[in-house]
Parts: sequence; structure tokens; C-alpha cells
Amino acid sequence: MAPKTSDNPIAPVGDSVTRLDARAKVTGSATYADDFQFGPGLLHARALRSPHPMALIKKIDTSEAETIPGVKGIVTGKDFDGMMGLYLADRYILCRDRVRYVGDPVAVVAADTVEIAEEAVKKIKVEYEVLPPVLDPEEGIKPTATVVHPDLGNYTYPNFIFPEPGTNIANRFKVRKGDVDEGFKKCAAIVERKYKVPHIQHVPIEPHVSVAKWDEDGHVTLWTSSQSPFAQRNMIAKALHVSQGSIEVIAPYVGGGFGSKAGVSMENLAVVVASKVKGRPVKLVLTREEEFYASFCRQGLVAQYKMGCDKDGNLIAVDNKYFWDAGAYTEYGVNITRASGYSSTGPYRVPNVRVDSLCVYTNHPVGGPMRGFGMPEIHVGLEQCMDDLAHEIGMDPYEFRKKNCVKDGDIIVTGMKMHPTGLSKCIDEVAKAIEWGKKEQPTGPNKRRGKGMAIMWKAPAMPPNPGSSAEVKFNEDATVDVAIGGQELGQGTFTVMAQMVASALGIPYEWVRISTPIDTKFSPYEWQTVASRLTWSMGNAVRLAALDARKQIIDLVSKAWNEDPDNLDIRNGVVVSYKTEETLPLKDIVIYGIPKENFNGWMGGPIVGRGSFMPTYVTGLDKDTGQGERAVVHYTTGCQAVDLEVDLETGKLDILKAVSAFDVGKAINPELVKGQMEGGFVMGMSTGYFEAMRLKGGVMQNPSFVDYRIATSTDVPQKVESIIVEVAQDDGPWGARGIGEHSMVPTVPAIANAIFDAIKIRVGDPPFSAEKVFLAMVDAGIVK
Amino acid sequence: MGYHRILLTVNGTKEQVDVPSNMTLLRMLREKLALTGTKNGCAAGECGACTVMMNGEPVNSCMVLAAECDGAEIITVEGLAKDHQLDPIQEMMMEAGGVQCGFCTPGILITARALLNRNPNPNDAEIREALVGNLCRCTGYFRIIDAVKKAAHAEAR
Amino acid sequence: MNNSHPALPEFEYLIPASLNEASQFLASHATEARPFMGGTDCLVRMRDGLLPMKTMVDVKPLEGMKDIKFDAAKGLTIGAAVPMNTVARHPDVRKHYPLLAQAAETVASYQLRSRATICGNICNASPAGDTIGACLTMGGVLTVHGVGGFRQEPLSKFFLGPGKTVLIPGDIVTAITLPLLPNKSAGKYRKLGRNTLSDLSIVGVTVFGYVDTTAASGFRFRLALASVAPVPFVPVKAEEILAGKAITAETIQEAGQAAMDAVTPIDDVRGSARYRKYMVRNLLIETVTEVWKQLAR
Repeated sequence: MAPKTSDNPIAPVGDSVTRLDARAKVTGSATYADDFQFGPGLLHARALRSPHPMALIKKIDTSEAETIPGVKGIVTGKDFDGMMGLYLADRYILCRDRVRYVGDPVAVVAADTVEIAEEAVKKIKVEYEVLPPVLDPEEGIKPTATVVHPDLGNYTYPNFIFPEPGTNIANRFKVRKGDVDEGFKKCAAIVERKYKVPHIQHVPIEPHVSVAKWDEDGHVTLWTSSQSPFAQRNMIAKALHVSQGSIEVIAPYVGGGFGSKAGVSMENLAVVVASKVKGRPVKLVLTREEEFYASFCRQGLVAQYKMGCDKDGNLIAVDNKYFWDAGAYTEYGVNITRASGYSSTGPYRVPNVRVDSLCVYTNHPVGGPMRGFGMPEIHVGLEQCMDDLAHEIGMDPYEFRKKNCVKDGDIIVTGMKMHPTGLSKCIDEVAKAIEWGKKEQPTGPNKRRGKGMAIMWKAPAMPPNPGSSAEVKFNEDATVDVAIGGQELGQGTFTVMAQMVASALGIPYEWVRISTPIDTKFSPYEWQTVASRLTWSMGNAVRLAALDARKQIIDLVSKAWNEDPDNLDIRNGVVVSYKTEETLPLKDIVIYGIPKENFNGWMGGPIVGRGSFMPTYVTGLDKDTGQGERAVVHYTTGCQAVDLEVDLETGKLDILKAVSAFDVGKAINPELVKGQMEGGFVMGMSTGYFEAMRLKGGVMQNPSFVDYRIATSTDVPQKVESIIVEVAQDDGPWGARGIGEHSMVPTVPAIANAIFDAIKIRVGDPPFSAEKVFLAMVDAGIVK
Repeated sequence: MGYHRILLTVNGTKEQVDVPSNMTLLRMLREKLALTGTKNGCAAGECGACTVMMNGEPVNSCMVLAAECDGAEIITVEGLAKDHQLDPIQEMMMEAGGVQCGFCTPGILITARALLNRNPNPNDAEIREALVGNLCRCTGYFRIIDAVKKAAHAEAR
Repeated sequence: MNNSHPALPEFEYLIPASLNEASQFLASHATEARPFMGGTDCLVRMRDGLLPMKTMVDVKPLEGMKDIKFDAAKGLTIGAAVPMNTVARHPDVRKHYPLLAQAAETVASYQLRSRATICGNICNASPAGDTIGACLTMGGVLTVHGVGGFRQEPLSKFFLGPGKTVLIPGDIVTAITLPLLPNKSAGKYRKLGRNTLSDLSIVGVTVFGYVDTTAASGFRFRLALASVAPVPFVPVKAEEILAGKAITAETIQEAGQAAMDAVTPIDDVRGSARYRKYMVRNLLIETVTEVWKQLAR
């Protein structure tokens, strides 16, 4: 019997089909949140934001602002007492008794025009009592520091977060495995380093934008650029003490997310001001400057590393401390602390581990979920230390990694058993492609050239039970509309889901459409579009929904033809019998059913497939040891290497060759996977070369593109060779797991290791600006 | 604040618009003509998401006053295709995989179209230089550059 | 704390009928009106709340502002409203004043250069102005129309401080004239930014060199440094060294060191004073060497 379409990954799964949203995007017809037309009734909002990093609010006077013609509504925190938070609920919608970072929203104005709203914002008078801010996480944990959240003890949080009330520690993740002190005694080489990774920004090209309408009947509609329509609905509903069903979030194409549009950051501001102008839509758009200083950022990290190996280069002990500069609210950031704790060793087998990962409140911008979720930050130091340790013991860093990297069945830092992984293969492929071991000639007399590599791992960081669901429904011509709750951010989700439906159902890819915008009223539930989880999790739900539809069809036709369903299949939109060679096009069945013999009645009806997926096997971890049977759903692993030059005259870096390899389990669309690997490399490179939020006294000094530089077309190398490794994920659709974040994790340390290979010194913390590299060379006597 | 009546051609169509003095060309296109293909990324002339062609040259429309556009010829991304036939730069951007979130795409297409108009056979460095005013955070630029090369090749035939 | 407006603040846009009308209006509305050229600097500053203006006077359409003309006897005259792209690709500029074309092409992005102007870059008087060095070293002279009519202002005396020039209310720069250059000359603008292209300069080095038998070395090098002083900086000692001694690698090194010693840059978000000083030296050496190689051929 011929293999069934549902058994094997046949086309289009595995094919690099053209994106299904490409034409809309190249013609300018793709709708983004700022493109919806609302007519003349649309109002415009602006937020009044705190100018102080830490202050009590003594008084807010909106009376003068209210008199400005064209002002239609003003809200302040006194009207909204609900607290919000994805994990730890530590945040009011608008500040009530205090502000905690420069940019903290204190009031929102809705007016006829954005100019009037801004004028009104300027007329709101706030009396502050300024308090000494916490501007460093190591200072923040001292008993003398201002306590940023005195009410920490009253906040709600899930059972895997451990806040310490009365302090600035919002979460602490501990690993205690084996005996680290005994372990170090056995080490032939030990490396101890401290690294500071600065805050950086997501920088999506599309700023945040939300339009909210609050009707008299209590229904709230929120049109928004969002990675998380359901999570936003949930958090806002809870904070407003209303049913989730009374809020409808409509989320179109997203112009770049990278985590910035996950959770709730500014969407609730539009909703609360809309409550003052019942029935009228109100739009709130962040300026680019607000994007830089007043929206989720990637928190800063102060990290202490200590690791040691024996004379043969076996890693024996790791003792790391991560102090997260998590910002004014850690409702999301507490999980970054946790994730970096349970992955704290990097992708290595180490028998003795002591790690403390602390989430520290500071009066800095709010740390949120940025691509990598703690992994890029900790790998900056981890992978440089591994190189240094290899050098100490006289071992090639490639050999050192091959020896110590996690392999199938290894017990990892949390005591979990590592699943099959292609990490070793990734390392070998990268080493081969970069010609590791071959000393390259510099391209000029004033250049030094070197190669560096770094490896990584990351698990989707989620609560233990994040769900996905999907529906597959037909049109009369058997084209399909797939309803999902996950979002297209550019990563290619819609395309990949369409491929999966086409493959699992047995219909052409061109017949599949994804229903967009996501609308929480009609779309099935999806936890969030984060964590590189959709291909795996939502893909499972989508595949099950397609198989459900397929089963309904096959069962119906088997009844109509009186045949064993095992003899039937759907190929190219047609039901076929392998036994009789009878065929029946789907369009004749999927809405109208099948007539009985002689039209003596009918069978079947409209086919709707549904599917649902939620991991059920994640276990808790011990509060004091961080040990547990199954910390995470799975790890994606990978490796990058660069061949670069340092210019001795200016300190500028030039990457001549870059190579990436990641184990994605199964590449549903190989070119889209490579697109993620390329884009992630450049984002990582950009953070390595240029990016830092320069915070002085809690105020960002560079909140614009003029002085927060990102990579341009002239900065990127000729290409990034992107190698796909496939070691199947046991519970992934066709074996697939995620790739979206992982490609920016090893980039900064790979660059740092290459710089070291070129000039034999470490230049300090990222970003490795030309100035930093040059002055490091001057101070080391390499140049005059 | 005064209003100015301007007459201009947008994507081949004659338009008459009354604009306040301080309205940028970008806002006029998006808010008065409902041409939302051109995007607002920074309002400061840095990101290039707002790039349109003005009298044959690419400009950051957030840095041009609508009031200055009396008599101007503007082309936006919506005007690149002719009779539903995509411009080669649009076809190749799809084919090469140069689109991810798509937000920088309209500006990139205009910049690239203008480059090929003035230099039908640009080399790699010229393409990169021409695109330096269009920021992309998703793709890493590789496939965008590739798309421009492919379009140049397609047009040479 | 950043206070950028979401949109441009309210102002009037005015197209004057003539230069006289424009100068009169600007003089009588001194603190609240200014000439509007490419807008790439002033619109940004207005949105940032740094330039509160009631009226923008669009002088671009006025007579002569868009003309660019090379006269074999007088030199090159560029109207103040000619965009940088137009200047950079003009065949007479590329042939006779290649340094100006090359410097213009380092500014920002192609889109911005469709609007930004050389004279606007000069009047903005940022120490980082990329085309200022080329115009300065090639002896540029501005034609200015004020309430008293036309006059000339040499660039060498034009800059008073960051954003400050000798212009007074009512003044409109209508053109820049670059005189005929010596027979054998060559120039280069070396710009160091954070990105490979498109950034503001951390340090910018302009070198314009020419054969001059009255100089002991046989050459004269005009130098200008961007982003290292409140105004475009001329390292006079370095120029004297290059005029006074035979040009060798050592002489160039000495000149570079003299320039490094002469500048007192500041620390700012783009770079530190320490790094800027080194870069002045290294980039001056690199650029003078390159220009000299061209001259010596």
C-alpha cells in the first residue's frame, strides 16, 4: 500500500515555498495596526511619563489640562487599582503612589489630535518627592538600597517564582548540584571572570501602536501590534476585574516584535483612556524615542563566572552568579532570571554546579522578553570563559567544546536528561566551514585576523502549561482557512503553518490561507508568540487539526464507499481509494456532505478540524537546588563562528566570514530557517558592535537612531553560511523545534573569541566599539 | 495655522489636497490619501521606512513638508506595480526571501527602484551604499541585496 | 528626559516672492523665523523641541538657488538649494572638485542627500558637518543676501561656535563659490563613524593638497578636522610642517602628531576625547599619505 500523506513529511513540509504574505507586503497592502482606518471619530492619546527614576507621587492636578479645547478624556492611576503581570503581578496600569523609572506612565490624555493631547499632557501638574534611585543590581541587593517595591510581599505570583519581600530581589533561582568546592580542588585550571552586559533595545522598525474602543455595553476592542493577543486580553481583563470574554484583541501583521510586543507594555494605556470616551476609538502610538526609553528593554546583567576543568580538559565545576538589572517592574523579567538559572551552565556537561541567578529591582527601564530571553546575556561571558579555560589547559577551544558539550542522555544542570541533540554535529559543521585550525593571512599590514567560535542552547521559557489550539475549516471550493492564535512577526509562522496543513491534509499549499488578523473572539487560544515555540507547539495543534479534518473526511468517504478507511487517502485535494482507484474531489464533500445512493438522503456536513497541544511533562524544580526531572520541554542547540579582522589604526572590526549551524529538528521551510539564522546573526553582531542603552542617573542618553546605532546594509559581511542540522524533536511536528531566537545567542562571544584570537587580549564588555578595541590595544601596548 | 492647497500627482493620479503648514508628506499620504503602504518608523529621517519617490528621487517623506509638494510627482510602494503586474524589484524581493516582517519593505523597494533607475547594473558595494538609509531589523540585509541584484539582472534581459 | 514631539509643532510655511521680501521678513521676525532649505537638520530639531519657530521661510524656489555652474575663469558656484546628490553627480564637480563630491557622498543616506544641501550643512555649523571641510580647504566663499543686499563671506571666518555663524537675522545664503583650484591638486575626506556608512562623524579629516613651488616641501596641504572642536578645526602647525619639510613618512607622522596635540575634543556619546585624539593622528597620517601619493604621481 502506498504511504499515506499523513505519515511522511512530504511536500510542502520540507520545501522552501514562497511566503504566503510576501505579495501583500511587497505591494504595501499588508495591514499593520497603524493602517486600520477608523474614520473621523478617531481620537489620539499621549501619555504623561515620569521624569524621575524613583519618586513618590504627592499630587496629580489635571484640571488645567481638562479645559483645553479638543481634550476628550484624561485618566490617572487612581481610577485603576488592578495589578498586572505575566508572572509576578507588580505593576499598576498607571502609577498610583509612586513612579519607578524615567518613562513610567502617570496619566493618559485622549484628544481630537495628537498635538492637542500632547499640549494637555504638558499642562498636567504632578508633585513628586524624589527618592534615591537604585541604579545597579549589585547595589540594589544591599540593605542600604531604596526598596523599589515595598509591597512585594503582597503580590501574586506562580509557584515557580521566589520573591524576597522587603528587598529588591524579585526572584532567586538557585542551582546546587554536586559539590562545587570539592570540585574546584580537583581542577587543574580555573577561570574567574566578571562581565557586564548593558541594557539593549529590541528596535522593531514598527513602533508600538494600540487603538482601543470601550463601548457602553462594556465590550472593549483593542486593535494592536501584538505578539500576545490572548495574554494581553487576559492580563488586562484581570486588572480591570472583567471577564476575558468582554475584551476583544485584534492583532494584524506585526512589523517586528523580538519580544517587545509580548506581554503588556503600553496596550493597557489605550484601553484605560478609552474608558473615558465611551464608544470612540483612541489611538496611542509610541514615538521612536519612547520605543527606546519607555518600552520593554533587554535587562542588563552583571555576571560573575568561575569554572574549572581537570588536566584532560573535562569540566568539573561551575560557580556563577547572575545579577539581573531587571528594571522597575519584573512581572516578566522574573522568568528570565529563572530561565538563565536553569540553563546557567550553557550547553555543557558539568557534574558540580552552584548558581545564583537574582532578579533585582532597579529604577531602570523595564526588562522584558527580548529575543534570547537571558541566553544571549549569559553566553557573552560563558563562551569567553570556556575559551579562556581551554587556553589555560592548552587545549583547542573547538576540542574543548567537543569534549564537554551536552550529548544525548547527559544529565544537565537541573538533573534533566538531555534529549537527542545535534550540538556536536553543529560544532563539527561550523568548524569545517570556517576552516578551524587554518591560520588566515590578514588582508593588509595594519590588520590582525582571528577566528572564534561559540556554542549555545536555549529552551522555550514558559510556564509549565502553555497551550496552543487551531481550527481548520473549509470553503466551498475546498480551500482552507486556518484559524490560529499565534502571530506572524516576520519569522514565517503563517507560511509554515500553511505548509503543515497542506501536508497533513493532502491539499496543495496554494489552497491554504491563515486567518489574519488574529481576533481573540474568533481565533483559537494561543499562549503567546514568543520563546521560538510556535513551529513546535502551534505546529502540533495545527497538524492535529488538519489530521482531525482529514479523519472526518476519510471516515465519511469510507462509509459512503463502504471501504476500509486504511485504503483511502487524500492527495492533492482529492480523496482516492488505493483499492478501487475511485476518486472524489474535496470540494464536493467538505461543505455539502455526500448524497446517499439515489439521493436518498445525505451523509456528513461541513468539516471543521480542531487540534490542541499543551506539554504535560514539565516538572517543578526544587527551590533550593534547582533540580527536577524535567525542567523544560526541549533545547535547541547550535554553534557560530566568525573569521574577522581588527584594524590596528581605528580598532574597527570586519567580519570576513561567518558560519552558523543550528539543530532545528526538522526544517519545515529551509529558506525561512536560514532567514532566521541570517537575521539573528546580524542582530547579534549589531549588539556586539554598537548597541547599549546608555543610562545615566536612570535617564537614557541615546534614545534615538542617531546615537543608538544598529547594523546597516554596509555593516554586514558578504554572507552568513547557514547550516541546518536535523535531529528530530520527539514531540515536534515532523520533528521540528524552534530557531527564531537562537541565532543571536552565540554571536557576541564568537566575535569576542575571534578578537582574542586576533590580538590576544580581551577588550572588555560589549559592545565592542572601535574605540573600546583600539584603546584596549593601546593600553596593552599592541599599538601606540 | 495656515492651510495650503497643493496639486500634485501621486502614483500617476492627480490629487488636490489641503494641508496644514506643519504636515509632513508622510502624514499627508497616510492620513489624507489613505496610502498606508508607506510607513512611519522614526519621524526623524533615520530609518527609511517612510521613503517615497519625489520627482524621481527617493526622499524620507517624514522630512518633507506636504506644503512643499505643490506640483510634485510622488511614487509610493502602491505605485510600483503597473496594471497588477509587479515591478521586477517586487518580484525579486519575494523570490529572494528579502521580506520578513515587511515593515521596512515599502521603503526598501522605493530606494532600490530609484537605484536601478539611475544605475541599471550596480555592484555589491553600490547596492549596500544605496540601501544604507533603510534600516532592517529582521533579515540581516543579505536577501534584500540579493533581490536587487536579481532585479537588475532580470531587467537587463 | 527626552521630550520629542510625536509630530512637528505648529508653524507657518511661507514662500516669499523675492529675496528682498525674504530678508525683510526674516529680519523683522528674528527669533521666530528662519530660512527653510533641505529641512534635514531643522525639522529634526523642531520635533525635538530645540528650535521653536513660528515661520519657516522656504527660499528654495528663489532665483539662482537651484543653479549650479562652473566657469573656467571664476570657479564653481553652487546655489544654496541644490541637493547634495545633485552636487555629487554633477560632471563639473566630479571633474574639477572631486573632493566635494566625495565628501558629500559620505553624508547620511541617499534619501537625505536628495534634500540636504551643502550651504545648509555649512549654515547649520555643526562641528561634525561633512562637507564643511572640503569647502573650507578649497577656499569656499558664501554669497549672502541680507537686508543690506548681497555680500560675500569667506568660510575661513564664518564659524563662531557649534551652531553659530557670522550670519545675522535677515541673512540668506544664496550660493557658495569655490575658486579655481591649482593645476595639480588632490583631496580626500576620511570619515570615521560607528557604522561603516551613514553615521555622524566621530572624527572627520579633510585633506586638500596641491603642488606649490613657493612651499619648501613643494606642496601645500590644507587640512580641516570635524568633530574635534566647537568649530571645524584647522591644525595650523600640521599644515606648516607639511609645507616646511620634504614630504616623507616621518614628516607626515610629525604632522599627524602635531594635529593630535593641537586638538582638545570632548567626550560625548559618540566617542571619548582620548580616542578622538588618536584618530586625528592616525586618520590624518593615512589621508595625507593617500593624497600625497596622488600628487606625487
